[in-house]
Amino acid sequence: MQNITPTVVVNDPQSYEDRHVHTVYDQIATHFSSTRYKPWPIIAQFLSSLPDGWIGLDSGTGNGKYLPLPVDRPNSILTIGLDRSRNLLEIARYAGNESQSHHNIREVVWGDVLGDVWRSGIFDYAISIATIHHLASYERRKLAVQRLIQCVSPKHGRILIYVWAIEQDKLSKRKLPLDDQQVHQAGQDVFVPWVMSHPNTKNRAKKHGDTLISNSRESEGEQTLKITEVYHRYYHMFAKEELTQLVHDAARELGLCIGSFEGFSEQHSRGIDIVQESWERSNYFVELKCWQSSD
Amino acid sequence: MVRLITHNLLACHVKGCTTNNFPLTFQDVQIELQEAEFNPEFVRNLLSRLDWAALVDAAKQVGDTSLPPEEPEMMDDDLLKKLHHVLLEIHVIEGAMTCPNCKHVYPISNGIPNMLLAEHEIG
Repeated sequence: MQNITPTVVVNDPQSYEDRHVHTVYDQIATHFSSTRYKPWPIIAQFLSSLPDGWIGLDSGTGNGKYLPLPVDRPNSILTIGLDRSRNLLEIARYAGNESQSHHNIREVVWGDVLGDVWRSGIFDYAISIATIHHLASYERRKLAVQRLIQCVSPKHGRILIYVWAIEQDKLSKRKLPLDDQQVHQAGQDVFVPWVMSHPNTKNRAKKHGDTLISNSRESEGEQTLKITEVYHRYYHMFAKEELTQLVHDAARELGLCIGSFEGFSEQHSRGIDIVQESWERSNYFVELKCWQSSD
Repeated sequence: MVRLITHNLLACHVKGCTTNNFPLTFQDVQIELQEAEFNPEFVRNLLSRLDWAALVDAAKQVGDTSLPPEEPEMMDDDLLKKLHHVLLEIHVIEGAMTCPNCKHVYPISNGIPNMLLAEHEIG
């Protein structure tokens, strides 16, 4: 059982993320990756729907599990993975490539999702899966959405965003001690533990200063000591409709209208349509499509 | 990895560096050639995203001079194969990319470009 604890972001959100997100992922990269291999169906469907020759960005690619998709048309599109964790990128390079051969090596870039490293509007699509919820302020989450909008084609760019929801799946192993009205409107900042166990060997020194290290005896009969390390990752758990509101705020600030091309094309030149938005298995997601009038 | 397809999409993002910040210039590169599956449809459709002059220049910087200096109007199979090779089979493993404007250096190590900036450089 994993207990989630509420937290409050103090001081500078960037250094907060450095300590409670980036450092943690660099430390748990291998273990984390071994548990994150199955693509979520809606994301796989989204990538399958893209035409040959499209290029896209996976912003916060993690271990790169979406980079090899679609499975049935390998190399028909090219997804470039960007992440803040160098150790996860080392894994993402070989995503979908068990033998770690140099064939089908993935394109990955070490960077920040708030960075502006791409030529404007150059991608056909962008996905951001389970990433924006690691940003520690509303302004930074909004900027992350704006970076996605800015990096895709204003004419046909497509975007898919997934974030973690307060509303948890009944099957979720995570226990959530939050239940008040305020939380359900504004979202909630939390720490989510990541637990790693490994045998207590000598070369595993206590190198992680701020992690809890506890020794516990294996089940009866075995004398091996195990070290359990607990790492706390920062998340902003999204409230219902918070993601949609964030997209609205981000788009408006960029001068885009929100709605279908048909509805707005006479008054506005650029816009973004919300193709679908929903909750799926403890996450909210939103799919967007950019449009631009021809004149 | 830094292949030339990726290089063609990246621009310098140092605070205030908004003109002449593309394309980045390769420096001291070590390259590896890795065969990739040829998908002519992919390469053909990709072309409209590319900056041709930047691609030709970058190819020269990594030792490939197979592309014509002007983008041809007709793409035959031979040219698509050359493009496929230049875009997808040349991997820059070590080296750096430098901004032509502000001279910021983005290092490449073990095939991964470092596009992170220090806090004071972020716009």
